[in-house]
Amino acid sequence: MDHPRRSRRRLAIAIVLVLAIVSVFVVKLVDIQVVRADELDKQSYDKRAVAVTTYAPRGSIIDSNGTVLADSVTRYDITSSPRNINKDRAAATVQGFANKIAVITKQDPAVVFTSLTQHPSADYSLVSSAVTTAQMRAIVKLNLPGIYYVSHPIRTYPDGSVAGNLIGFVGTSGAQAGIENMYNSCLASTNGTTSYEQGADGVQIPGSSVTKKAAVPGGTIKLTIDSDLQWFAQQAIAEQATAIGAQSATAVVIEVKTGKLLAVADWPSVDPNNVGLTPIANRQALSFTAQYEPGSVFKGMSAAMLIDTGIGSPTMQATVPWSWKTPEGGRVNDAGAHAVERLTLTGVLQQSSNVGISMLGVKVPEKTRYDYMKAFGLGQPTAVKFQGEASGSIQPLPWDDQTKYNVLYGQGVSATALQVAGIYQTLGNGGVRLPLTLVDSCTKPDGTVTDQPSTSGTQVVSKSTASTVVNMLESVVDSGELSSVAKIAGYRVAGKSGTAEVASHGVYTSDRIVSFVGLAPATDPQYEVLVTYTKPTTMKTSAAAAPTFKKIMTQVLTKYRVPPSTTPSTYPATTW
Amino acid sequence: MSSLPAYLPTRAPREVQPTRHIEIVATRSQRRRRPRIVYGIVAVAGLFVILMAQLLLSIALSQGTYQISSLQTQQKNLARDKQTLTESLNVLQSPQNLAAQATTLGMVMNNSGSGWLRLSDGSVLKNPTAAGSTSATDPGGQALVTNALLTPDVTAQQDASMSTPAAGNPASTTGGSAGSDVASGSIPAPVTH
Repeated sequence: MDHPRRSRRRLAIAIVLVLAIVSVFVVKLVDIQVVRADELDKQSYDKRAVAVTTYAPRGSIIDSNGTVLADSVTRYDITSSPRNINKDRAAATVQGFANKIAVITKQDPAVVFTSLTQHPSADYSLVSSAVTTAQMRAIVKLNLPGIYYVSHPIRTYPDGSVAGNLIGFVGTSGAQAGIENMYNSCLASTNGTTSYEQGADGVQIPGSSVTKKAAVPGGTIKLTIDSDLQWFAQQAIAEQATAIGAQSATAVVIEVKTGKLLAVADWPSVDPNNVGLTPIANRQALSFTAQYEPGSVFKGMSAAMLIDTGIGSPTMQATVPWSWKTPEGGRVNDAGAHAVERLTLTGVLQQSSNVGISMLGVKVPEKTRYDYMKAFGLGQPTAVKFQGEASGSIQPLPWDDQTKYNVLYGQGVSATALQVAGIYQTLGNGGVRLPLTLVDSCTKPDGTVTDQPSTSGTQVVSKSTASTVVNMLESVVDSGELSSVAKIAGYRVAGKSGTAEVASHGVYTSDRIVSFVGLAPATDPQYEVLVTYTKPTTMKTSAAAAPTFKKIMTQVLTKYRVPPSTTPSTYPATTW
Repeated sequence: MSSLPAYLPTRAPREVQPTRHIEIVATRSQRRRRPRIVYGIVAVAGLFVILMAQLLLSIALSQGTYQISSLQTQQKNLARDKQTLTESLNVLQSPQNLAAQATTLGMVMNNSGSGWLRLSDGSVLKNPTAAGSTSATDPGGQALVTNALLTPDVTAQQDASMSTPAAGNPASTTGGSAGSDVASGSIPAPVTH
């Protein structure tokens, strides 16, 4: 009779128990799914998700033909977890690891061993930095526990010191010199981050990739430089500078009709791959940064002023002693003693007579001369605006009694090699001064092209003045003192030498800066070459610079296939 | 009378066979409406198929992930190969290396030797001159234009690859036949007209 009642009680107990258990589960479920949901979610995501920094390479610097001058390549740092390595391992085993790694990285095994064992409880220790891909692969193949690698981009300069002074370099804290620094905003890349979830084996969980920020590679800087010609120019000035014991040397090659710098060589040159080998003073581009009193190469400009103003002509006459007392009581001397000569303006250029150019050039008013010098680009940086570029200086008016003669032959005034080159570019290009260009363009990865230089020129002297002066300067190469070392068979070449005195503490010393600048072919100038040697010790005249000028100009004419001149050099009379 | 026989049989079984099993017989339409076993089987099978499909899809998807992962690794390795090769090519084609190699081969730079012809009247503007014993520059001497990347390792590797021409290399075979043409006195010329 109490059978149904007992079973009812059992049922009730069961129901209560089930309800109790279910409610415990529900409470726990709500706790996990609702109350602590965010926190737990995050914990689990952090376990699965990996955020990875993605690197895009810094842009390349290429020459006018696309030859890579600066590039980014990947290197690897080999790191270790000393805690993992030393746990349960005998020192001899770890020494074995160190030996294997050292063979690959070409390090001292003791150094590697120290890095693995110095802090046995540490989780990180750098074993070897910037190893190549081959070395990294060899180390990975060893399959050693607790050894890892981290990749990072480094800068490489495949052509070494070819154009090294122009390109500059990138240090540990970023771009530090030259184009690398000046065009950093074009070249720099932006790192990105990618995060995705991964399984226990490190493989990405399908569909979980979330790229937070894409990495943007840097743009490519294209120079106007031709790396082969640049190498030739550097090699040529280095050989001669070593031979004559010069302190430094520069060579500049310009495409006259465009203002493009085809080569700007500096010696001593920097190898951006190993900047430490070069003294700090030579890590810059001296052709842009060093200003000096240029000397007689200025005479071409002085003659242009005389002719352009109509005051003088190519056959303007002067009776030239070797030493001349100026009306103001000063004294102007020629480089060497000579009998009194009856020279035309052309002859003054050919003989490079300081006295002659002083007698004739002073007829142009100072203000006019000052304005011409400004118009030729003196006293201001070139359009390249190179890092640390000097602007040179023209003494402000009024000039004193000596300066007004000195500036006519390039003393008492300072200019950089590029400014001097700019003067002759103007004369070679029919009197139109073009902005000198070193950087052709910056091309961003998306194809946009920026940083294109201006190509608008200014007429400094008339076309006829310019061509007359170039014609007069043929006399220097054809039959001047240096014609034997400067003449190029088959071509009409116009040129001017310069042997400037170097002042130190306000006094001219026995140090010289010797230079030679020239244009070819003289009938229709296409290319200009300027060579300068600073403080040569064994040969202190421009006869040291002329052979290098000839060498480089010959190379230029051959390389760019300039047809030989069809007529021999003719020019106005040099004497009367 | 007629109602009696009808009454009797209905009463009689109840009394005669009180425990006789009876059931409600469904009408035809009711029977048609009843769920058939085949539907159940189809539904369960369908469920099973869906589950299997989902499982297979998931397997395929994860398989694809592994494939992507392995291809990505492969791509990364190939990209590294390419970069390594480009890097060494750029160094090997640097002017310093080319000049040094040319000097080793006994070549000199003859930058003023080219001749010039004018096609319009066939006149010789400049006679070609043969190279002398001295080079326009002497890169073989002191390394004046340095390149820190041209390490002895790199040059040694290059020398090794130069001394062992690859078998079946088309470039080397063409070079060989051109050489024999010259030896036999004829100049190899392009076949295009």
